Amino acid sequence: MKILKLLILILIISVVIIQFIPNDKPEVVLANENDLIYNNQLPENISVMLKESCYDCHSNETVYPWYSHVAPVSWLVVKDIRDGRKELNFSFWESQSKMDKAKHLDNIIDEVLDENMPMPIYTIMHANAKLTKEERQLLADWAERHAESLFE
Amino acid sequence: MKKILIFMLTLVMGFMFVNFTIEDKKTPQDEVKSEAATYSVPDDVQKILDNSCVGCHNSDSKNIKGKGKLKFDEFADMKLHKQVGKLADIAEVVKEGDMPPSKFIKNYPDREPTAEEKEKLVKWANEMAKQLTPAE
Ligand code: HEC
Ligand code: HEC
Repeated sequence: MKILKLLILILIISVVIIQFIPNDKPEVVLANENDLIYNNQLPENISVMLKESCYDCHSNETVYPWYSHVAPVSWLVVKDIRDGRKELNFSFWESQSKMDKAKHLDNIIDEVLDENMPMPIYTIMHANAKLTKEERQLLADWAERHAESLFE
Repeated sequence: MKKILIFMLTLVMGFMFVNFTIEDKKTPQDEVKSEAATYSVPDDVQKILDNSCVGCHNSDSKNIKGKGKLKFDEFADMKLHKQVGKLADIAEVVKEGDMPPSKFIKNYPDREPTAEEKEKLVKWANEMAKQLTPAE
C-alpha cells in the first residue's frame, strides 16, 4: 500500500515537473496578406471546411486548445503544428509559384480522399473538423477546379 | 525640288525598312511564346523511370495504389495543371527519398536510383514542370 502511494506521488510530481520543460509553441499570426482565403473568393462552404478542419495545423492562425498547454500532450500538439505548417501553410499561399500551388492542390486531393487528412487524432478532440465522404469530395473537387483555374 | 523629293523618298523607304526589320525580329519571338511546351522525356531519364518507377506507376501495373496515384504511360493525357502538380511531386518525393518505397529497394537493391540518377530525375521533373507552367 505504501508503495502504491509513493508511486502515485512520484507520478504527480513528474507531471508537475514536466510542465516546466520549455515547449515553444509556433507563433500565432492572424493577419496574413498572402493567405489563401483572404486572397481568393472561395465558395463559403470550402473556406469554412478549410478553417475548421485544416487551419489549426496548416496556417499561422492556430487556435490552441486547453490541452495544448498541458505536457506531455502539448509536445505532440506542437509537433503536429510545426510539421503541418512546414509541409503546407495556407497563410503563405500566394507567395509560392503556380507550380507549387499545383503540387499542393494535387496533394490535398490525395490526402483528403484517402482520409489521411485532417489527422484522425485531431478529429477526436475537434468534432466539427470531421469531414463526411460528401464533404471530402467537395473539397477535392474544389482543389481540382482551383488548380485548373491557375492554368487557364 | 528634286533633291527634296529624293530625300523624302529615301526617308519613307528608310522607315519601311526599319519597320520590316522590327517585324522580322518580332515574329520568331512570338512564335516561340505561342508554341506551348509539351511533356517529353529524354532517353536518359526514361531509362531511370523504366528501371525504378514504371513497374508500379503504369496502367498495366499490379500495384493498384501506385498506379492510382501516377501513371507514366498516360501522363500526357492529363490536364496541364495535373501534369505540373505530379511533376513537382515527383521532384519532391525523389529528392526526399520517399520513392521508390524502401520495401521495394530492399527487395530489388539494383533498382534503387543512384545519387546521380536521382539528381537527373529531380532536375528533369522540375524543369519540365516549369516549362509547362504558364507565366505568373
Ligand atoms: C492535427 C494537425 C493537422 C490537421 C488538422 C491537418 N493536417 Fe495536414 N498535415 C499535418 C502534418 C503533421 C503533416 C505532415 C506530416 C505527414 O505527412 O503526415 C500534414 C501533411 C499534409 C499534406 C501533405 C503536404 C504536401 O503537400 O506534401 C497535405 C496536402 C495536408 N496535410 C492537407 C491537409 C488538409 C487539406 C487538411 C484539412 C482537411 C489537413 N491537412 C488537416 C497535420 C495536420
Ligand atoms: C513498389 C512500387 C513503387 C515503385 C517502384 C515506385 N512507386 Fe511511387 N508510389 C507507389 C505507391 C503504392 C504510391 C501511393 C502511396 C500512398 O498513397 O501512400 C506511390 C506514390 C507516388 C507518388 C505520389 C503521387 C501523388 O499523387 O501524390 C509519386 C509522385 C510517386 N509515387 C513517384 C514515384 C517515382 C518517381 C518513382 C521512381 C523513382 C516511384 N514512384 C517508384 C509505389 C511505387
